[in-house]
Amino acid sequence: MKRIGLLLGFVLVSVCLFAGGGAEPSSGGSASAYPEKPIEVTCVFGAGSAADLITRKFSDLLQPILGQSLPVVNRTGGGQSIGYSHVKDQKPDGYSMIWTSNGLLTAYYQGNMDFKQEAFRSIARISYEPVSIAVKYDAPWATMEEFFQYIKNNPGKIRIGNSGVGSYTHLVAAAIENKAESKVVHVPFGQGLAFASIMGGQIEASVQLPSEVLAQHEAKQLRILALSSGERIAALPEVPTFKESKIDLEMILWRGIAVPAGTPNEIVKKLESAAKKAVESEDFKQFCAGMSIIPAFQPGAEFEKFIAEDDRLIGQLMKTIGTSKR
Amino acid sequence: MVSSILHAFGSVLTPELLLVMLLGSVVGIVFGSIPGLTYSMGIILFLPMTFRLSPLAAISLLLGVYIGGMTGGSVAAILLGIPGTPSAAATVFDGYPLAKKGLAGKALGTALVASIFGGLLSVITLMIVAPLIANFALNFGPAEIFALVLFGLSTICGVSAGNILKGLVSGCIGLLVMTIGLDPVMGMPRYTFGFSRLIAGVDLLPFMIGMFAIPQIVQSFSTTEVKIENITSKKIKTVYPSLKELRRMFWLTFRCALIGIGIGSIPGTGGPVAAFLGYDQARRTKKSEGPALEGIAGPEAANNGVTGGALIPMFTLGIPGDAATAVLLGALMIHGLKPGPLLFSQHADFVYGVYAALIVIHVIVLFVQGFGIRFFVKILNFRKCYLFSTILVLCTIGAYAVNNNVFDIYVMFFAGLLAFFMTKYDYPVAPAVLALVLGPVMEDSFRRALILSQGSFNIFVTSPISLVFYSLTVLILIGQIRRSAKNAGSGTGK
Repeated sequence: MKRIGLLLGFVLVSVCLFAGGGAEPSSGGSASAYPEKPIEVTCVFGAGSAADLITRKFSDLLQPILGQSLPVVNRTGGGQSIGYSHVKDQKPDGYSMIWTSNGLLTAYYQGNMDFKQEAFRSIARISYEPVSIAVKYDAPWATMEEFFQYIKNNPGKIRIGNSGVGSYTHLVAAAIENKAESKVVHVPFGQGLAFASIMGGQIEASVQLPSEVLAQHEAKQLRILALSSGERIAALPEVPTFKESKIDLEMILWRGIAVPAGTPNEIVKKLESAAKKAVESEDFKQFCAGMSIIPAFQPGAEFEKFIAEDDRLIGQLMKTIGTSKR
Repeated sequence: MVSSILHAFGSVLTPELLLVMLLGSVVGIVFGSIPGLTYSMGIILFLPMTFRLSPLAAISLLLGVYIGGMTGGSVAAILLGIPGTPSAAATVFDGYPLAKKGLAGKALGTALVASIFGGLLSVITLMIVAPLIANFALNFGPAEIFALVLFGLSTICGVSAGNILKGLVSGCIGLLVMTIGLDPVMGMPRYTFGFSRLIAGVDLLPFMIGMFAIPQIVQSFSTTEVKIENITSKKIKTVYPSLKELRRMFWLTFRCALIGIGIGSIPGTGGPVAAFLGYDQARRTKKSEGPALEGIAGPEAANNGVTGGALIPMFTLGIPGDAATAVLLGALMIHGLKPGPLLFSQHADFVYGVYAALIVIHVIVLFVQGFGIRFFVKILNFRKCYLFSTILVLCTIGAYAVNNNVFDIYVMFFAGLLAFFMTKYDYPVAPAVLALVLGPVMEDSFRRALILSQGSFNIFVTSPISLVFYSLTVLILIGQIRRSAKNAGSGTGK
């Protein structure tokens, strides 16, 4: 009797095992039923950062469109390589997604990882942000032209904060230095710390995303001198671009979503149209306005060409300023 | 201002807000008290939930998690000798021995009272002198932060359990571990030995969980006692400290709360630093050498002081004071509020609402955790084999959940093994933990200061603030050397 019970137990357990094991391939198999389970979204930046907020907001918007939840996981560290490497190694079944940005390229050229956009299939560009340069409100420079002239004439005197060595903000600061044919001191900071250091007089200027300095700009504690985008932005109508300030410089920080290379076309198309809907929603537009992010949808194929062009520019720039290891 | 705050209480004491704050506090206490789960994780987890709430409800929920978590961290630290959050690491040193002596209830009560006191004091400071403190905190550039952290590191003397040399070795181990990975300034890999996994470095949290938890677990399985303490026969009478004890510890708690507020308001430091400084204060104050309630009140008042302190730069300048407030800042931005200098003039109602919510949350946490203590102590009544197996599982999950990275689990077990052998050969673990917490901040500020000064070391000695901290450090060292010499002298005299 006891033995029969044991045998029954064994059969039961093994059936359960097979059932559990069998469910896996069939759920990933059919693309038409996609998505059948939650899609994990990786953000390579820390919780609370601008990148993290847009990731969470967008996932929240995609959820009703795709009919599945999209939990966001922060995989930080290793100069962004940890997050990118993780997603690259996942099954290309559409259930692992990553928020990409120029960081994919800067991390590659900096030598943090051995792959760039070819390891992923881009789904869509979602948005872009200009990079802003700000000084203390009562600083002697009222315009970017004056500040640029000062940098030119006083090599090594100006200290500019950025959000980390090899970050995109660092790259913009280095490009300014390069255009001025002068020298500035680049000081890497963590989130939010650069502003404290301008106020405390430890640095003269800081290159940051507008959302990080907008409040202080409005309160007349800081003055945003210029933006790196081609056009002015709605959140800061009074701030000119670099081009208007007679500096030939245009750089934007783009963000988009991607999945591991080899993900089936059907799935990519489905995600692309869902992303389009989400970007065009009123809710997302409102969110972006508050964060001074510019919603800028671009379908996957165009986006990949766009990245390739940016890849060329960033590779060139990093070589010129000596931070490229390629 | 008083009438505005009273008015704000009206807007906070609605069923919706109360429910949200209660939820936040309970979640915070649970996340804080379970080793491996931290309040930062709780805040991130609940962030998407706040998208659909009103701004005040959203921030109240997250603040509940923050304060509940900071307070709840002491529970596991006292009962199990494993800090629930890094900020509670210093509470272990006196809290756990007291619990083993059968004073678990009272230790928990003291921790709670000191936490709430520190927290409320920090809220009051936030309400009254926030702009003043924020502006002073701006004077803390990298060089000043370095001096402050060096001062913090000098307290290694105090946590070395009598053997300074072994304490220093332990401290160096901690510092060494934190140098693994990409260096914070130039992005150069250090001590990675070609493993790509090590590029991200060693995360503080899994390492700390491992150092505290694994030796406890191993030890619990290698002794014959079935339970940590048999309390079924005893009834736990006093949970809260007596009036006399409160009076004795008042100035200490007050001082530590101020330390916490100060540390919290300096961007780039945080709870664990404050807690260790608080413990050092307590060590100086208490009469006897052994564990005392002071050793709990000090760090707990300090780490809860950090909560209000960290909100000071956030509300007045728009700078997050620590990792948790960074997420809070993000939450506000999602709701279209721009934390910073103009928040007061543009959204005064909201700010006063937050103040009122902070006070209410402290009251809620006091009651919820006070109510919970009688249940918390019951876990000591479980058979050790069940209790510690569960803890091992929770710690493993926690280590994984920090970065969703399996490698962190290996880190935890390695740290555990290291700590086990350190304890076996009488090397104190506390200095290593202190170094783990302070090391990255210290290196970061040191290197950043040198970039600012373009290589000149003058930057470290030109500021009066730095000089004050260096003097304090020297005083501590002299005191320690004299004490060691005296001990050695009396030793040979016998």
